[in-house]
Amino acid sequence: MSDWYRDSYRRFPPKSTPRQAKGGIKAQSKQGGFGKSWWAKRWISVLETFNIGSRLSRGRSYARRGQVVSIDIDTGVVQAAVQGSRSAPYQVKIAMATLTDGDGEKLGRALASQALFAAKLLANEMPQDIETVFQASSLSLFPERLGDLKTECSCPDWSNPCKHVAAVYYLLGEEFDRDPFLIFKLRGLDREKLVGLIGSPGRDAHGAEAPTGALSAASSMRPEPITTDVSGFWHGAELSEELSGVDLQSPPVTAPLLKRLGSFPFWRSDQRFADVFEPIYERASLQAMKVFVGELPKSGR
Amino acid sequence: MIILHGAFVQTSFYLWGEIPVESSVPGATRTRRKPKDKGVRPNTLPYDAGAAAVLKKLLEAGLDLADHDEPTTNLFLSIPTVGALALSSSPLIASPPESTEGASLQVWAVGSARVQPEDAVGVLCRCVDKELLAPGLVVGKDLAFWAAAMRFAAAIVARQQFLPNLIENGAGYRACWEPILTGADYDRALKLARAMPHVCRAAALAPGPPPEVDPVSLFSDFIGFIVNYLVRPAPSDASEKPNRSRSSHARKQQVDSIHDRWLIALSSKDGVMSGEPDELKLLARQIAEWRRPIAISNSAPFRLCFRLEEPGDNLDSDTSDSGQADAENVEAVATNVNGVRWKLRYLLQDVADPSLLVPAKLAWAGGGKASPFKSRNFNAAEYLLSSLGQASTLCPRIENSLRAAAPDGCELDSTGAHEFLTEKAWLLEQAGFTILLPAWWTRKGTKLRLAARAVVKSPKLQGGGGLSLDQIVEFDWEASLGGEAISLEELQMLAKLKSPLVKYRGQWVQLNADEIQEALGFWNERSGGRASVRDLVKMSLGAGSAGELVSVETVTADGWIGDLLNQLDGRAAYEEQAIPGGLLATLRPYQLRGYSWLSFLRTWGLGACLADDMGLGKTVQVLTLIQKEWETGSRQPVLVICPTSVVGNWQKEAERFTPQLPVTVHHGIGRRKGGAFKKEAAKHALVISSYSLLHRDVEVLKEVDWRGVVLDEAQNVKNAETKQSKAARSLNAGYRLALTGTPVENNVGDLWSIMEFLNPGLLGSQSEFKRKFYLPIQTSSDPTAAKRLRRLTEPFILRRLKTDKTIISDLPDKMEMKVFCTLTKEQASLYAAVVNEATRELEESEGIKRKGVVLATLSKLKQVCNHPAQFLGDNSAIPNRSGKLARLTEMIEEILEIEERALIFTQFREMGEIIRKHLQETFGREVLFLHGGVTKKNRDQMVERFQTANNAPSIFILSLKAGGTGLNLTQANHVFHFDRWWNPAVENQATDRAFRIGQVKNVQVHKYLCAGTLEEKIDEMIERKKGIASAVVGAGEQWLTELSTDELKELFALGRDAAVE
Repeated sequence: MSDWYRDSYRRFPPKSTPRQAKGGIKAQSKQGGFGKSWWAKRWISVLETFNIGSRLSRGRSYARRGQVVSIDIDTGVVQAAVQGSRSAPYQVKIAMATLTDGDGEKLGRALASQALFAAKLLANEMPQDIETVFQASSLSLFPERLGDLKTECSCPDWSNPCKHVAAVYYLLGEEFDRDPFLIFKLRGLDREKLVGLIGSPGRDAHGAEAPTGALSAASSMRPEPITTDVSGFWHGAELSEELSGVDLQSPPVTAPLLKRLGSFPFWRSDQRFADVFEPIYERASLQAMKVFVGELPKSGR
Repeated sequence: MIILHGAFVQTSFYLWGEIPVESSVPGATRTRRKPKDKGVRPNTLPYDAGAAAVLKKLLEAGLDLADHDEPTTNLFLSIPTVGALALSSSPLIASPPESTEGASLQVWAVGSARVQPEDAVGVLCRCVDKELLAPGLVVGKDLAFWAAAMRFAAAIVARQQFLPNLIENGAGYRACWEPILTGADYDRALKLARAMPHVCRAAALAPGPPPEVDPVSLFSDFIGFIVNYLVRPAPSDASEKPNRSRSSHARKQQVDSIHDRWLIALSSKDGVMSGEPDELKLLARQIAEWRRPIAISNSAPFRLCFRLEEPGDNLDSDTSDSGQADAENVEAVATNVNGVRWKLRYLLQDVADPSLLVPAKLAWAGGGKASPFKSRNFNAAEYLLSSLGQASTLCPRIENSLRAAAPDGCELDSTGAHEFLTEKAWLLEQAGFTILLPAWWTRKGTKLRLAARAVVKSPKLQGGGGLSLDQIVEFDWEASLGGEAISLEELQMLAKLKSPLVKYRGQWVQLNADEIQEALGFWNERSGGRASVRDLVKMSLGAGSAGELVSVETVTADGWIGDLLNQLDGRAAYEEQAIPGGLLATLRPYQLRGYSWLSFLRTWGLGACLADDMGLGKTVQVLTLIQKEWETGSRQPVLVICPTSVVGNWQKEAERFTPQLPVTVHHGIGRRKGGAFKKEAAKHALVISSYSLLHRDVEVLKEVDWRGVVLDEAQNVKNAETKQSKAARSLNAGYRLALTGTPVENNVGDLWSIMEFLNPGLLGSQSEFKRKFYLPIQTSSDPTAAKRLRRLTEPFILRRLKTDKTIISDLPDKMEMKVFCTLTKEQASLYAAVVNEATRELEESEGIKRKGVVLATLSKLKQVCNHPAQFLGDNSAIPNRSGKLARLTEMIEEILEIEERALIFTQFREMGEIIRKHLQETFGREVLFLHGGVTKKNRDQMVERFQTANNAPSIFILSLKAGGTGLNLTQANHVFHFDRWWNPAVENQATDRAFRIGQVKNVQVHKYLCAGTLEEKIDEMIERKKGIASAVVGAGEQWLTELSTDELKELFALGRDAAVE
């Protein structure tokens, strides 16, 4: 109430209640600040220097309520749809200046001087002193001034950035937590290009198709024909020690693989990603342990 | 009998079974039509058990797949077929044709039951490491394979190595859980997949040419199936707690989000996810993108490998040279240690050839001239970068090394090296990296660390017989490091180093500040301890700790406690006991040792498990002990509990070896109860009873203060939960013995129950035991667990094998033993009926006719002694009706367990059939049977297989006439004479099939006799006549017809001890 009062007093447009968005992206942060990593905080601090008043907190609550229906990140530009009070979502656009090819190469040479930069980035972490590398090339990774960012929104609010832009901006911050490469993508350097620059030069980057790493990759299209030998057909090879070496310790932390990958991009559920998945991992691990030592999954049915 | 098979076809698991064909020429009539013609429905496999029979058999085995209302599914299997004869999986089903040349795959139909995932897992759980689910239900090799694969999948899930996914399968999108196989898991999976029996991929849901399924992808699908079952919440879980406190509003909203729908699909049974194709496609792409870092590292043909290298050699020579001066050198070493640098080297390991390690230095430069990377289109630098990036988040010490452009490793101080060894190596290994550690670290059980030693002050000897485990003694603590005592000064000096890894007297040892503090505390407080000798015994066997952290390494003592501990640990010999005068047997040297060992433990009231191989004479060693105590004045009875089938044997052996001992059998309807029993027991040295009475009469048996309780065939109490195990533990006894011929020490699961009977509390409570030993050993998660358990139990188990050189030198090449069996009630009444009839006929007949009556009666009585079903010839049920067959089954079980081979002779073809059927049903293994109806070619084949084949059948039944002469069967070292041919020459000739040139083991001859029947009496007659020329006895059994009617009556009469039920 007081919010509304203050808003109208300042002759901002009266607060409107946004329509409920279906299946929108929900921020993982439920209260307090956005962004856990230093680089996400760094990104968000830029927005907070823009002095757009309560639009910041409105943007945060939009982000948490799932008003942002979609986000697309492309080289130099982010396009998003945000559900406001009108029936059709507003179209939001955030653009950043991209690096020139020359700048990219200069940067690449600087980054290649230490394996740490590429290693950390490939492991989804932003190297601590990456900014010094940019500075050494008279470049900057993050937007520093209002002018570095171009924001647009189709809503009637005259303020730019508006709360819709802010909501998208916050969500981007959370995404950067997970995948620092996105910042580079925004600057016009996608993963492949960056790896090409700082890995060993002149080497093909991995194709766009992500390899699965699944066992089935080792299967052959033309399998060995089924044998007519009685032993091979009915008995197969000796199983001997194949399983005895299996280590069954449960991991010291729950769901290490999930922790390694981080939260899912633009997670859209009410429940936090980790809250949903960790109990599943714990329960399954226990269940499997029992099955491994031969305790039947069900008894007395 | 059914051989159970499993098939995994198109995401479902099917069970089907094979049953033996009854006709002697398998398939000859039923498969005349060739199943080849296209368009014609394939013939049903002649061995098809049908789904209903399979489910019924599973139900009998305690596996209720009840919610199975689906009709039978027809599976079409491409099975190797010769002519019109499908080749069965085992000779238990149909004997193979004489030649399998020209076999081709033909499609056969079988009836199968499609089972729910939880039922599939339930059945497979039961199949793990089993050949048999229940008598007559054999685990097919394919099913055993699926069980191994299931355990593999379970291990992956237990370690939480799986991720959610969304996949398009043609019909739409399905949310699922996928195992993530890294490093060693991946290798193991491939190995397993390649061991798959081909029948696993020969099944299809429609008739057609043999399926072309790759084993790896089928295996991968199958473990996916198991992983999904294990990870998806059980249906009941999901329905029990619907939307907890969430409002319906929130729920509606929740379902609107595509991610929520993915979550719901991930926990639904089929994983089906509906929605706009575009939207689902986008989600699937996002998921793949999200999983990409793991996918990249998993699909690389090389793997990042970390090798920890210890500091250079100069340090090693410094300390090892100095020898005596070590103590002074501690400080010098210390400076070195802290200044010293360990190297953690980065290498790339070839996944296909793990022995190929490429140093990172080369890899950064592209792998050198003959680059192993280029041909495989592998970007080594990118892989190294991303792997090192990931590794550096797990192990931050790696990060510093990445300041270089092309790092080849990182340096660690001793703290870093210690952290790597104890913690990071495991984390990195779990993340899929290969870890190579110094050998002194990986060597099992040699993690050198600070330990305590208890030094017992020589206890004052109290006058006369005061030696008891319950005596309380005082002791001091001492500290030791790397197996050597360490002084207070040295320890204080080491504490100052504040280094977790120190090279002390030439070897690296782990030091933990808290442990050092605790150990220093022992000195500072001058604290020793007080404990009973019993606790010191446990401590000396590794089951004790000195404080919160430091474990006890050794207990040293002098005087009698020192002697006791040394003897238990095997460091000192126990005294050899004098053989009691009343023993009518000559003990072989190892038997004397066994008896001495028993009496040593008995003196201290410690329980002993004598686990000698079959035939080494466990009974006589125990009888010697009992005789000795009886002679030294004990008048308290000893209770022997054994299977019903050996009650008679115990009785006979006691009669033979220790005739002075009053023995009574507590058995049968007329057995005494309450006070009467107590009185009766007090009059005897030995009371023999059976396991079945142990729990029925436990209240009576508990009333007696037994001098000792002996459990024969102690594997009967391996399950701690059974009534007889509980009853055994509740008896009051001065000492406890367990006898078994099976290697108990190898079966961790069974050990607790037997040990708890012998030495209560030694292994802790059952749940403690499970946590400290059973689970770590089962899951190989703690390599020291098995070693600790062995150390703790070793002093109480004595197992000698016939193959031990020290034993074999004492043993004759051929040992003949009589095995006294008892009749069942049914046998006894049949026996009495035959005798009654014979008595009448004998009185009425003369001459040739009388001879005929005598021979017919002999034959009938032999048949009754063998098995009622043989006598009645009615093809009736086999189990639990014959004492001989029960005993034979028990002995064959032991023989199979120690992987030896046996011949079983009988003069009756019908009995041979019964034995064969019963043993095959009971053990699920093929049993050979040679009788007069077998062709020469077949006979030669059987002998050839038995003598030479690798996995040949271990049991060979022969009819005395067909197999008693000529054959060479030296692979067998056990010969059973199931019934007797009353002519030693004929029996010896049969025995010589095994006992002849080429035999490398001792041969044991087991001659079966029913106690109290004509079998025993004729045996006695023969023994008496041994000196007389064999001509008197003659070649056949004719001589028996010459006996007078009175002699015959006496011969036929049933003795009192014949039946014990």
